[in-house]
Amino acid sequence: MQTMLKRTQPVIRSRVSIPKPIKRVLPHVVLLAYVAVILFPFVFVVFSSLKESNIEIASHPFGFPTKLYFHNYEEAWVKARISVYFWNSLYLSLSSSAVGVLLAAATAFALTRMKLLRTSKVIYQFVLIGMLIPGNVLFIAQYVLVMKMGILNTHWALFLPYTAGALPLSVLLIAAFMRNIPTDLEEAAVVDGMGAIRMFLVLILPLTLPALVTVFIVNFLGVWNEYLLANFFISKDALKTLPTGMVGFRDAFQTNYALICTGIVFSVTPVLVLYAFLQEKIIEGITAGSVKG
Amino acid sequence: MKSTLKNPYVYAMFVLPTLLLYCLFFIYPMVSSSFYAFTDWNGLEDYSFIGFDNFTTAFNDPDFRNAIVNNMYFILFSVFIQVPLIIFFAILIGQIKRFQGFYKTTVFIPSILSTSVIGILWGFIYEPEIGPLNKLLSIFGIEPIYWLADTKWAMVSVLAANAWQWMGFYIVLVLAAILAIPREINEAAEIDGASSRQRALLITVPLIRPIISVVIMLSIAGAMRVVDIILVMTKGGPVGSTEVMASYLVNEAMGVDPNYGFGTAISLIIFAFALILTALYQLTLGRNQGGND
Amino acid sequence: MKKSIYLGITLILAASTVLSACGDKNEKSSTETDNTQTTTAADTTEKTETPAKTEEEPKKEEAEPFTVSLRHIQISDAQKFRKAILDDVVKKTQEEVPGLTIELDGVEDQVNRFTKLPAEMAAGNPPKIFDLFGGAGDALKYAKAGRLLDLTPIIQELGIADKFLNLNQFTLDGKVYGLPIGGSTEGFFYSKPLFEKYNIKEPTTWDELEAAAETLSSNKITPFAMGSKGAWVPLMLVNTLIGRYAGPEAIDGFPAGSQAWNSAEVVSAFAKYQEWEKKGYFTKGELGLEYADMLNQFVTGKAGMMFDGSWRSSVFKDQAQAGDLTNQVGFFSMPGVPSGKGNQLAVNGNYSNGYGFSADLTPQELTAVKAFIKNLYSEEMQLRGLLEDGLLPSMKLSDESIAKVEDPIVKQVMQILGSSGGAFSHFDSTVASDVYKESESQIQKLIAGKSSAQEVADAMQKVQEKALAAAK
Repeated sequence: MQTMLKRTQPVIRSRVSIPKPIKRVLPHVVLLAYVAVILFPFVFVVFSSLKESNIEIASHPFGFPTKLYFHNYEEAWVKARISVYFWNSLYLSLSSSAVGVLLAAATAFALTRMKLLRTSKVIYQFVLIGMLIPGNVLFIAQYVLVMKMGILNTHWALFLPYTAGALPLSVLLIAAFMRNIPTDLEEAAVVDGMGAIRMFLVLILPLTLPALVTVFIVNFLGVWNEYLLANFFISKDALKTLPTGMVGFRDAFQTNYALICTGIVFSVTPVLVLYAFLQEKIIEGITAGSVKG
Repeated sequence: MKSTLKNPYVYAMFVLPTLLLYCLFFIYPMVSSSFYAFTDWNGLEDYSFIGFDNFTTAFNDPDFRNAIVNNMYFILFSVFIQVPLIIFFAILIGQIKRFQGFYKTTVFIPSILSTSVIGILWGFIYEPEIGPLNKLLSIFGIEPIYWLADTKWAMVSVLAANAWQWMGFYIVLVLAAILAIPREINEAAEIDGASSRQRALLITVPLIRPIISVVIMLSIAGAMRVVDIILVMTKGGPVGSTEVMASYLVNEAMGVDPNYGFGTAISLIIFAFALILTALYQLTLGRNQGGND
Repeated sequence: MKKSIYLGITLILAASTVLSACGDKNEKSSTETDNTQTTTAADTTEKTETPAKTEEEPKKEEAEPFTVSLRHIQISDAQKFRKAILDDVVKKTQEEVPGLTIELDGVEDQVNRFTKLPAEMAAGNPPKIFDLFGGAGDALKYAKAGRLLDLTPIIQELGIADKFLNLNQFTLDGKVYGLPIGGSTEGFFYSKPLFEKYNIKEPTTWDELEAAAETLSSNKITPFAMGSKGAWVPLMLVNTLIGRYAGPEAIDGFPAGSQAWNSAEVVSAFAKYQEWEKKGYFTKGELGLEYADMLNQFVTGKAGMMFDGSWRSSVFKDQAQAGDLTNQVGFFSMPGVPSGKGNQLAVNGNYSNGYGFSADLTPQELTAVKAFIKNLYSEEMQLRGLLEDGLLPSMKLSDESIAKVEDPIVKQVMQILGSSGGAFSHFDSTVASDVYKESESQIQKLIAGKSSAQEVADAMQKVQEKALAAAK
């Protein structure tokens, strides 16, 4: 069918038509090449982390390590105190995202469900302004603020800005989701005499769970990966988060690349594992956030 | 009917915490930035009002002007090199029948990692003597290139690493839009004999213009915001060849001679730039789509 | 479907929590064993009497536990000797002061000096004890703002006030605000094997130095190892060049307004540096190399000489760090330059790194600080620093102590200092912060070939004049 059409068409293209099998394979070839470029650095890092020293890395850069030298991992975990950084990042990300989601959900509920409509509109627009401001602009002022509050070099210095930073987007997303929930259930509940708080906790939260989970994940990743504030607001080594700790680790062990690669593996693996389980949610959440913003 | 939904106290309870955090960490810093920007506060002693001096100093400083130029490079690279590539890959993935999920998932990975870790990773790849890139080139007999130490190459290297991290994210975004195009349109075109290239250029691309617009806006915002990867890879060097406005800000305000007044002035300049660029874009190219968002 | 996701998340989080808690416990248990020695019978020490140990006073003073924060910069391998000394001082101090726990916080040198500490000073919450650099841009600046503890009464009480060789960098208006832990001089380390191989003898004149560089260069060995990503590294060489071309007085002359940066002699110093750059005498790709990489270049035989501070000498005793160059390294100070002004035999001498203390201390913390000072600034620790770490003493040592030195490099350095007839410091401890900052930016421009020596000098002078005007 197709070939017949080709003959009847005016010959605009004068080149040789590519045989079909190659046509089908070509995109894959190109894409595989691209995927290789994406994945190769990871592979390389893992290989290097298992090599004994720089010399081996230099002489056999692309080869599989001659001996699986796991000692690097031990050294990194202990010397680099990655366990400390990891734990800090983990609990900061969890707490800040959880609190952020809760606060945002409460606010979204109030804005979309409660009847103070005009106030709601104003507050909603007000909160949205936050979406306009890029992260760096507030950095110095936030630093000065945190300094004056006296919480510099404590985890509060990170927890508060992170949670605050997550709010505009979270409110936006959750509110959008809530708007789509029919109000019948609530109206029935109101008739039954349910108070607003109970309604929120018992009715709305469970219904918006998908959005909540998505927002939680987005915020979690945002905090987990954050570098700028974490670097300047915290100087005590025991309080550092993973990104900052990693850079400090790199600075202290610059010349030992095998060790540095180990560090990279440590920081990247948890995220990758999370990603393996939650790909869909993560992709959906982050892309939704950007589009709406 | 109980008007719990109208209860102002409950409303306040739901909304106040959010508003408080938001005002404290978004609004107040914006305001205080606007204030400090006109002083010469260096954190230690009393400050004095110096009017627009900070701004004139900034614009008179060749290093700052250089930083602005570098930001422009980022934007140009993102819009004119990355975006076409993104569209290309997205269409490619959209066209194939199998392994779509695989490609989508893998290209997305770098964007969920911490920029600082990516900076360390690529710092290693670019390492002149041990890094894989130079090793690869040496197979072809090319002398080691000092990717991050040579003023000629530093910017390109950073741009490449940044692209590696973010392209996947945008590809997935555009892919979602492509997959949303009703299949009938493409099928009809195929029956009419349009080649895949014609289909891509004449049908798909126009239909996804809204998302491309979003991608461009996000790229511009991202280019203005970029700082983590620069701080970790080059700290703005060598000799300012990779210095962008945000890294200039960090180096000035948090470096050898902290000057918070100057720093906040620069934050405001960055903010202004971001606003102007976004507005410009909306007015010129954005208009054609009849408003997106 | 959802359930498995939640299960997955919980498992991952649980696993990671367990793992990190285990890692954490290892950390905690090691610090705990350190702290179990806090309560012995001794009481707070202020006197310089020999600490009366083993008193049969099993009166375990159950004093209120308190913590004193200590910021140090001894974090990498090269500083392990100094860290060991610090650890011993900390241990001893904790034993002497009941209830005291000293909490160590290690930060990289430059980060502490230029980012963390200034920020903390601005916020008014620096650590109680911290590594401090002397000079107008550091200690004196903070002292002026009232952030530093006045140590004059303490050192008098401890009887060590006149034992220090040079407290200029830490003295403001006659009061002492910091104490240097050691001294250093900056000069050339050279690889004995390479010099032997190419028949180069240790340079004693300028011509010999340049000839040595030329010989190395023609044999494809980099004459001078260099890592200029951190601008302070090349500035060491620049400083000594200025000390030679413009004379030792120039260094103090800059902030005094009596020496111009763009005077002919200072420009010659920059010009010489540029000349060496153009001749390719420095490591290629230096702008991407850090201080540690410079050492690496030297130790792995890629470069024949390295201009660095005498504090580096301890590295060359340690097989693990020096590899093939262990005990095969020599040291010489920069020879006089042909057209140089002033005493060409003067050497660079810095007593500008030490410890400072927060002005904001409770009486308990003050006690701890005094004990710390007593323990750290003692003949014993100074000698240990000299013997184990190659760190020149900042205090006067008895001759018998000095005689114990065996390390050839240290001996050589001390000999050089002894016969120098004068010393000049590094301008980073004499000029104001923004002048120093400008020098960092200018030297990198010079290295990258983006500025000429004259342009650099002019730019420096401009900033210096601004600083002088502001100071009035």
